[in-house]
Formats: sequence, structure tokens, C-alpha cells
Amino acid sequence: MSYLEIKDMEISFPTPKGKYVAVKEINLSVEKGEIISIIGHSGCGKSTIMNAIGGMVNPTGGSVELNNKKIKGPGPDRGIVFQNYSLLPWLSVYQNIFQAVDSVMTCSKKEKIEIVENNLKMVNLYAHKDKLPGQLSGGMKQRVAIARAFAINPGVLLLDEPFGALDALTKGTMQLELLKLWNLNNRDKTIVMITHDIEEAIFLSDRIVVMHNGPAATIREIEEVHLPRPRNKLEIVNMPEYIAIRDRLLHLLTDKFSIEDMGHMHKN
Amino acid sequence: MKEPLDDASAPKKPESKMRVVREETKGESKENYKLKLFVSYLVERGTSVFLALAGLALFVAFWSFISKYTKEDLPGPVATLTVLYEMLRDPFYDYGPNDKGIGLQLMSSIGRVLLGFSIGSIVAIPVGILMGASAVYKKLFYPIVQLLKPVSPLAWFPIGLVVFKDTGMATIFIIFITSLWSTLINTAFGVSSIPQDHKNVAKAFGFSRMRYLTKILIPYSLPHIITGLRLSIGVAWLVIVAGEMLSGGTGIGFFVWDSWNALSLERVISAIIIIGIIGLLFDKLFTVIENKVSYKP
Repeated sequence: MSYLEIKDMEISFPTPKGKYVAVKEINLSVEKGEIISIIGHSGCGKSTIMNAIGGMVNPTGGSVELNNKKIKGPGPDRGIVFQNYSLLPWLSVYQNIFQAVDSVMTCSKKEKIEIVENNLKMVNLYAHKDKLPGQLSGGMKQRVAIARAFAINPGVLLLDEPFGALDALTKGTMQLELLKLWNLNNRDKTIVMITHDIEEAIFLSDRIVVMHNGPAATIREIEEVHLPRPRNKLEIVNMPEYIAIRDRLLHLLTDKFSIEDMGHMHKN
Repeated sequence: MKEPLDDASAPKKPESKMRVVREETKGESKENYKLKLFVSYLVERGTSVFLALAGLALFVAFWSFISKYTKEDLPGPVATLTVLYEMLRDPFYDYGPNDKGIGLQLMSSIGRVLLGFSIGSIVAIPVGILMGASAVYKKLFYPIVQLLKPVSPLAWFPIGLVVFKDTGMATIFIIFITSLWSTLINTAFGVSSIPQDHKNVAKAFGFSRMRYLTKILIPYSLPHIITGLRLSIGVAWLVIVAGEMLSGGTGIGFFVWDSWNALSLERVISAIIIIGIIGLLFDKLFTVIENKVSYKP
């Protein structure tokens, strides 16, 4: 039994036109400390799988189990970083994290304050702790959201397109920050992230889950990435394995368009 | 930072900016620059004050014209302002139930408005929160709100009289009714428009009901609630004048009616000016609070 086990999961929503199946036949086993990326086109049910692990939606078929326990709702064992940061704009950076810690943790107030401060220092935002989210840049907001998810010390970290809204330079820095935090935790945390970015997926992940297009999306293929860690972006891009995986992913993600479009993308 | 490095125009921008700054600092000292800013601010303020005064002058001219046209049946500005000055010189005299100073009349009106408005708000905000947060409560209350909202609050006066057997209480009762609707509807709207993102945060981090209420629901909907309160107190201040004309006794509305019966149009117009100023102050007060509680997304 793996740490996180998704078995024959189906998620459907009732609509006025009848049942809409978002994803089906999803089977995925994730070990502790693994970094998994889910990649696919818009509407392929990536977020639905993420929400099922997070407990934000309940599967209509099959099951999701964490540590041999069926997931029935959100819990402190999973930290979620939302796509659009989802910070509360009327609370300071410090309060945004503190409210989550205070809600989830059962320790004393003094320990909670210590946890919040440590996590703020970890993402280099301690100096900005009294600012409101509106005063921060996109990268800083995302660091607050990551610090908030780390602060409740979850076994699983769920990241929904965490760096999608950031510019390329900030994105690169944030990817390194994430790996740094993961290393600081003795590579103990399991990370499941959604991304659109092939390079990002290869750079960060141990395995990459490629989805079929929706509706009723299924897993198409799972790519294993055996690149040695710690990875250096400049070094890995020239490794044969990197090139092979990238080409494979490009092929999987673009062939649909080559049929629909004019055909010139067949060369891929 | 977001500009691509190979963009040829990119390095030029900061350079040209620097040149401008240098020229400015070379030509004149920093104090001079600050003085210039201050002068331009003064000119801007001066223009708005001048235009406001010009508008007022136009109004006063029109008033004088109507006054002349009615052969002084409608008192002109000078006659009115003389009476207003007399009224304001001793606002708190009390010569028995039918002859009180304008200050005392205003205080009793403001007191009634604040009391009725407070009770109305205490009812409207929680009910609005319930209506915004739950479809059941919305279905339960919304039809009644829709039915009663368009009714003139004065129609409630007889009901207040029957229930409380007291004209003062009946007046407070109609202010209470008046204060409900805007607050209720704005609160319900604010609460029902809380973005899913914020709700997801509460769900993901297991916020308790209390934490959700104090850290998400109220901070998010507070600007909407304050807007509702501002509209409510505005209407309440409109209604108090009519209400006190019905109830008699004391208050600015009674003062207007009493002055009309005494055929002192100067006092009526003076009261109108005072009512306008107090209404403006109420509105300004709530606008200040509104700006205080609104947040940047």
C-alpha cells in the first residue's frame, strides 16, 4: 500500500443536461516524499483530481486513501496552494498564515507564533510580515501561500498551477525555492502539483502524469524522471534523458492539435 | 524587470528619466519644486471652491428672483438669513412645549433617527447575513422584503400608534422600518458575493464557523454593509421630517410644520437649510467609515 493511493476514481457532477463525468478510471500510487506533476490541456480534469486529494470534492466512484485512511474532506495532513494565491486581502501576511495555523494546530499560542515566524523566514518574507497582500508582487504572494501551506506541516502539499501567473524569471526562482523547502524538510513531504509547463514538470518531478483530454478524462501515461537530484537547470537540459522525456511529453501534448490544425505539426 | 533583455528600447527609458530629474534639480532647488507642487494644489482647490461658490451664488440669485416675483410672499435670502441668524444665536431656549429652540428640536430629531436606525440596523445586519449566506433564509425572507420595501414608511405610522400608544414611539418605529431595507439588501448582497477563493481557504484550512464569520464573511462584506447603513440613515433623515409633521410635539419636522402654521416662511426655509446640512454630515460620516473599512484586493 502506497502513501497516497487513488483507486479507480471517478468524479462526476450533476448538470441540467445530465451527469457530467470529469475524470474516470484514475489509478495512481504516490510514495512518501515523491514529487508528482499532473500535466494536460485545459479542462482535462487536473484540478478535479487535485481537489479530490485535497478533499474539496468527493469522488463519485472509487476511492482516495492517504496513509490507509479514506479521504472524506479537507484536513491538516494536506496543504493546498491555490492557483490564484487565495490570500485574504484584509489580513496582513503574518495574519494570513497565523489564521491557518491557529485553525489547524492544537499547540500553544507561543508555539503557533513561532511556527508562523519560522515559515515567514523560510520564504524570506519576515521583513514584509505586516504588509497586506495588495502591497506584494505576484511572486511574494505565492511565497506567502506556500509558507501558509508549509506552516500547517502537512504530509502532502498540493499545488494547483502554482507558478502559472508569474513571469519567467520569477517562476525559475520560485521553482528553486520550492525544491529548497522540500530539501529542508528532508524530502519528506509528498508534493502533487498541476502544471502546464513541460520544463517545469521535468525539472521538479519524480513522475509526470499526462492526462487525456476531457470530458471523462483518464490518465494517458505516467513518465518517470530519473534525473539525479539536486538538479541544475543548465546541466539537465543537455542530458539525453531530459531531451527524451521532453520530446515524449511534447508529442503527447501536441498531437491532438496536429489533427485538428493544418497538419504541419506532424513533424513533432 | 518584466521587460525582455534584448529589447533595444528598454535601456533608454531609465536614462531619459534620469535626465529629466537632473534637469529639474539643476534648474531649481528642491524647496522650489515643493513650493510649485503646493501652489498647483492650491490653484486646484481654489478652482473647486470658486465653482462651488459660483453655483451657490446662482442658486441665491434664482431664489431672490422668485422672491421678487412672488412680491416677497416667499422671503428672500436676506430676510431668511436674518431669521436663521436669530435662530442660531439662542438654539437651546425652552419656553414650554410649543416654543423650543432649533437646537433642542434638532437634538430630539437626531435622537429619534439614531435610535430607530440603530434598532433597525441591529435587526437588518444579521438577517441580511443569513439571507446572503443561505438559500433557505433568502427564500424565507426575500418575498416579504420585496413586498414591504416599496411601502412609504409613513404608512406604518398608524400601526406604530396602535402598538405603542405613543406618537414619539410611533415615529421611532417608522424610522426603524425605514432603516431596514437598504442595510438588509446590501448586507445580503455583500455576503452572497464572497468569492469562492475565500471560501476555499476556509474549507482547506478547516476554519470554524466563528473564524469564517470574523475573518472572511464580515471583513469581506463590511464595505457593503456600511454602504447599506449610509443609504438607510439618508432615507431615515428624509422620513423623520415627514414623520414629525404627523406626530407633532417636538423635532425638526414639527418645527417646519409649526412655522408654516405661524406663517413664518423664513423659519421654514432656515429649517430646510439646517436639515440639508445635517443630512450632508450624516452622509459624509458614513463615507469616511466606508473608506476606512474598504480594502485593496
